Amino acid sequence: MSATTTRPQTRKVVPAKGDRPVAVASHGALVLWCVLVIAPMLWTLLSSFKTSGEIFASPFGLPAEWSFTNYANAWVDSGLGDAFINTVIVVGTALVLVMLLGSMCAYVLGRFEFFGRRAIYYLMLAGLTFPVFLAIVPLFFVLQNLGLLGTLPGLIVTYVSFALPFTVFFLYSFFRGLPVEISEAAAIDGAGEWRTFFQVMLPMARPGMASVAIFNFLGLWNQFLLPVALNTDRDNWVLAQVLASFISSAGYAVDFGAMFAAAVVTIVPVLVAYIVFQRQLQGSVSQGTMK
Amino acid sequence: MATVTYDHASRIYPGTERPAVDALNLEVEDGEFLVLVGPSGCGKSTSLRMLAGLEDVNSGRILIGDRDVTDVQPKDRDIAMVFQNYALYPHMSVADNMGFALKIAGKPKAEIRQRVEEAAKILDLSEYLDRKPKALSGGQRQRVAMGRAIVRQPQVFLMDEPLSNLDAKLRVQTRTQIASLQRRLGVTTVYVTHDQTEALTMGDRICVLKDGVLQQVGTPRDMYDTPQNVFVAGFIGSPAMNLGSFKVADGKANLGGAHIPLTRTTLDAITDEDKGEITLGFRPEATHLVSEGTEASFGIRVNLVEELGSDAFVYGEMLDKEASEHISSGAGDAQVIVRVEPRNPPMKGDTVYIQIEDGQKHLFSSATGQRLPE
Repeated sequence: MSATTTRPQTRKVVPAKGDRPVAVASHGALVLWCVLVIAPMLWTLLSSFKTSGEIFASPFGLPAEWSFTNYANAWVDSGLGDAFINTVIVVGTALVLVMLLGSMCAYVLGRFEFFGRRAIYYLMLAGLTFPVFLAIVPLFFVLQNLGLLGTLPGLIVTYVSFALPFTVFFLYSFFRGLPVEISEAAAIDGAGEWRTFFQVMLPMARPGMASVAIFNFLGLWNQFLLPVALNTDRDNWVLAQVLASFISSAGYAVDFGAMFAAAVVTIVPVLVAYIVFQRQLQGSVSQGTMK
Repeated sequence: MATVTYDHASRIYPGTERPAVDALNLEVEDGEFLVLVGPSGCGKSTSLRMLAGLEDVNSGRILIGDRDVTDVQPKDRDIAMVFQNYALYPHMSVADNMGFALKIAGKPKAEIRQRVEEAAKILDLSEYLDRKPKALSGGQRQRVAMGRAIVRQPQVFLMDEPLSNLDAKLRVQTRTQIASLQRRLGVTTVYVTHDQTEALTMGDRICVLKDGVLQQVGTPRDMYDTPQNVFVAGFIGSPAMNLGSFKVADGKANLGGAHIPLTRTTLDAITDEDKGEITLGFRPEATHLVSEGTEASFGIRVNLVEELGSDAFVYGEMLDKEASEHISSGAGDAQVIVRVEPRNPPMKGDTVYIQIEDGQKHLFSSATGQRLPE
């Protein structure tokens, strides 16, 4: 900008004067926001190492002793370990199924012309608008008739159908946006529909798949209403149910330390998923395909 | 290697009445480089996609060699196609992109590797085999797309405007590379472009389409020397031919004062429907400057001079108002383009007199637009 600068490559970027108050204000707001989000999590983490007594005596102090007693208590005594394994099984299986079925469904709806295509798509959209609360009672009886009530497969089937509309809705537009020429090139290269889908289109849809997968993972991992209504057998409980039981069942004799430990155990996988998928979420769609 | 035959092949898109390709009859010889050319929407890409099997054929047949492929799946036609946008698989390396078809065909890994490396050598891509398409330049991606076609060793190459995404310099360079590569491999090639220069420089024969209808097929020389109708005359050649409808009187066409004599044969071919007019065309390069008053010459007021070094083109209006209204050229209505000696071109505002060189005029029927015999 200035003509007197002789070496423009080392020139410092000086923000215009009006920018500074804006920058300060926005950074201030962001810092505040970070504190609001991170502080409760840190507090939960700290509290998970304290005894109940310590928590009430000094809510914000450091624990006297860094011990994993709370974790051991929660994991073994309160059945958190079993619930964790149940949750992993249910959410993991449901996630794989819903991604597989959802992507195939979205691909067909998005890229093939056939009679009833729109009708099926709108039916899927209708599934999105349908409140779960309305479906609880009928779902209960459907699962009962199927003999799946209170079982993990029953919960998996429910989760899959629960997450499918959003998955299809999201991936539908994603597959529509992928260039047609690629599938034509694959057709000329000799790939059939299955190979085109699995070896060409699906890898291209990876960023979209990752986004949907993480949304589904969060939604299903934190799912509370469906398991409470449909998964009443204590042996099959998932994490959310165990967490709730800390507060509700024991009444005044709550082991707060163990409760915080259980909360940390529930939160950590979600955080890990976020961190692992973060790069995928930012990846661009079909870079390098065209031109 | 094989011939390609379009036998009255038509394509009508659902919901439209006019065919995108109307009863196309075309024979491509074994090993020939045929260029389909025409303005956008003329059906050239549709014709190619019909041959590829990406577009249905509503009536007629398409043959590759002696085999009727009208209802054959693209993958079973033994063809390879280069797309305008290249359509590379973004998640595969260059080598995998090129070898994908062979992998599907179940060829052994060693053979795939060998054929991919051979093609890469021809196309100067050897050092990029492990890269992903996004790490390549536009020209390199174009070559990968070519490579993908070459490794298949197909019967026919189909190319859909493969150069349109390259910059001007690279386009000229790649143009000659593709043409010489095709001559070397000897594979029958159908090439689609909207650029008549590309068509003239690359094709063994050129096929001009307009509104889904075949206009003329011939060698570049045929197309330039004897365009069969007004459309081909105006489309082939750069700058485009000057074309106008003029009154015929006393066996001569009246071109704004210049009386161009017509032969007996031509005059006999003019029908009542032509209403005593004839469409006369002359190329900018088929003229020369003469002094005022020379027989069969006419005057032009210079609006603009375009100097290219090797040539200079004069853009101007004919002095005669009436004739001027009826003529058009590559520069638009009422404009004439004339090539002049580049060393001392006329100035803007000058008036120059030109004469059409002997045997260089093109005569068409005013009513039908068809070429008239001379």
